[in-house]
Amino acid sequence: MTVLLDSDESTSPVVEQPRTLGPASPTSDKVFHGVTLAIGITVLVIMGAIGVFLGLQSIPTFQRYGWGFFTESQWQPEKDILGISAVLLGTFTIALVALAIAFPLALSTAIFISEFAPTRIRSFLVSMVDLMAAVPSIIWGLWGFFLIQPKAIHIAHWLHTHLGFIPIFQVDTDPDAAIWAQSRYAASAFVAGIAVAMMVLPMAAAVMRQIFSQAPAGEREAALALGSTRWGMVRTVVLPFGRGGIIGGTMLSLGRALGETIAVVLIISPAFDIKFRPLEVGSESVSALIAGRFGEATSNQLKALLTAGFVLFVITLIINTLAAMIVSRSRSGALTD
Amino acid sequence: MTATIDTSFNQSQGHTSGGTLEARQVSAWFGSNKVLEQVSLTMPANTVTALIGPSGCGKSTFLRILNRMHELIGSAQLNGEVLLDGQDIYASGHRITETRKRIGMVFQKPNPFPAMSIADNVTAGLKLTGTKVSRSEREALIERSLSRAGLWKEVKDRLREPGAALSGGQQQRLCIARSLAVEPEVLLMDEPCSALDPTSTRRVEETIHEIREQVTIVIVTHNMQQAARVSQQCAFFLAELGTPGGIVESGATEQIFNDPRDPRTADYVNGRFG
Ligand SMILES: Nc1ncnc2c1ncn2[C@@H]1O[C@H](COP(=O)(O)OP(=O)(O)OP(=O)(O)O)[C@@H](O)[C@H]1O
Ligand SMILES: [Mg+2]
Repeated sequence: MTVLLDSDESTSPVVEQPRTLGPASPTSDKVFHGVTLAIGITVLVIMGAIGVFLGLQSIPTFQRYGWGFFTESQWQPEKDILGISAVLLGTFTIALVALAIAFPLALSTAIFISEFAPTRIRSFLVSMVDLMAAVPSIIWGLWGFFLIQPKAIHIAHWLHTHLGFIPIFQVDTDPDAAIWAQSRYAASAFVAGIAVAMMVLPMAAAVMRQIFSQAPAGEREAALALGSTRWGMVRTVVLPFGRGGIIGGTMLSLGRALGETIAVVLIISPAFDIKFRPLEVGSESVSALIAGRFGEATSNQLKALLTAGFVLFVITLIINTLAAMIVSRSRSGALTD
Repeated sequence: MTATIDTSFNQSQGHTSGGTLEARQVSAWFGSNKVLEQVSLTMPANTVTALIGPSGCGKSTFLRILNRMHELIGSAQLNGEVLLDGQDIYASGHRITETRKRIGMVFQKPNPFPAMSIADNVTAGLKLTGTKVSRSEREALIERSLSRAGLWKEVKDRLREPGAALSGGQQQRLCIARSLAVEPEVLLMDEPCSALDPTSTRRVEETIHEIREQVTIVIVTHNMQQAARVSQQCAFFLAELGTPGGIVESGATEQIFNDPRDPRTADYVNGRFG
């Protein structure tokens, strides 16, 4: 490795060669690098294998039903009518209800913990939120079914009565009837969405809180030194800084909400209508459909269910990739990298 | 005591003179570590006061006590009084936001709001304190503040660009303009030129000269020439090993530099100090 310019030196001193440098990192670094790379690749391979497996299983279904698989709303194996348009709509309805509830809660939780909570109780609050994430989804499902549903029915009825002129709050029954039909408001995307919201809230709050706590101290102090209130400082410094994290965290929870299964199976009563009425009884999601029909399916139907799963997989993948891109492109993401 | 000072009390909006700041027996702690002991200093209106002293002697801590930034640090505590025109800014009736608006601060590291435009940076303080101004007033204020900070000529054609697009020296002057836009009575500056090149430093010093008629200035600096150039009054801080910091000597800058009473001051200003 020693630089030898031999005899050339005297004749052509202009010929200059870049110097060879020793290895940049010691062996331990290389081992560490190798191990992490291997783990990373394994994760990618597993993901890819799932995708390829689902994709291959989907081919017969796509051949048999064609575009109809996406446009047909009914799922009636006995009549050989299989389609996922209603199920996809239901999946998004539940996820959007969950986000509409979880987003404001997660945002205010994150702001409170990172900006307003006294230092003494901050770590306590953080572990409380983390504990929410540790609750199994079946528990959230039962919670939603037994504890929340009886109350949610009244909220849904109230929304229908007072805001029923807005299409999304409509329910196919008379809200002003002396004895209003409680069952029309039960087992709805709204109730399922509440349970799913509790499941995605901890992750969204954790992502947002971490980004907020990285807002530069210099800018925070600048705002306060100008005479700002704490809330003014949060609005001008912390929220603009954390915008990528807010969007990214929300999209990650959307990805999670789309796939949530057991709570939805417990709460929702299956219905295959093309409608966007979160408050009305009946809906269905892709994962709940798979869980519900998996046991009795014939081999063709099983392939159709896997195809529905494949579609959900692709949608979730796209959403999560977009979320990751938004987070890493934002100012806050550039710091966390 | 308030009666005599109250004559200069002036809280009306476009005030034209700075306020007098007086620290009385100020002590400060971080946790159980006492870093300042019984510091008293009067910073008269329309005077530039320089705080000098070796690293770690508590200059920044003292400065941050003067506009209630000290208490932002969890473990920080203090004792004593700070009077702005005779009124204790730590008295329970005083709104902290109002105090900080009247006593502005420029930090060692330029900290403009990077996503905001240059113009919005200048008026950020108005927005944050809920001060409403008309459109034309706003434009006039932007020009006046940037001119006072010596930045107007350089940025007048790019007011919509983000604050982060400026050089470090320009950013620091933008921060000065931002502080001046809320019309503070006192401006605290913590080593405002330590990250700047000589030209930008000169501009900032010129700015200090120009605004001292309207604003009382307290500046921390490690640069003896700068202290001598910009200040009329000077305070020498020192923390001897294992003891809290305090003022060894304060007085007219001329006297501190040319005829110091304490030998430690003489050593420090002549560069003979560890
Ligand atoms: N956030 C903090 N937490 C704990 N101790 C601190 C903190 N900030 C400062 N100190 C301590 O307080 C003392 C005074 O610090 P200060 O920053 O006021 O010094 P300084 O005179 O401004 O120094 P420099 O010239 O280096 O800026 C130091 O001993 C320092 O270790
Ligand atoms: Mg300092």
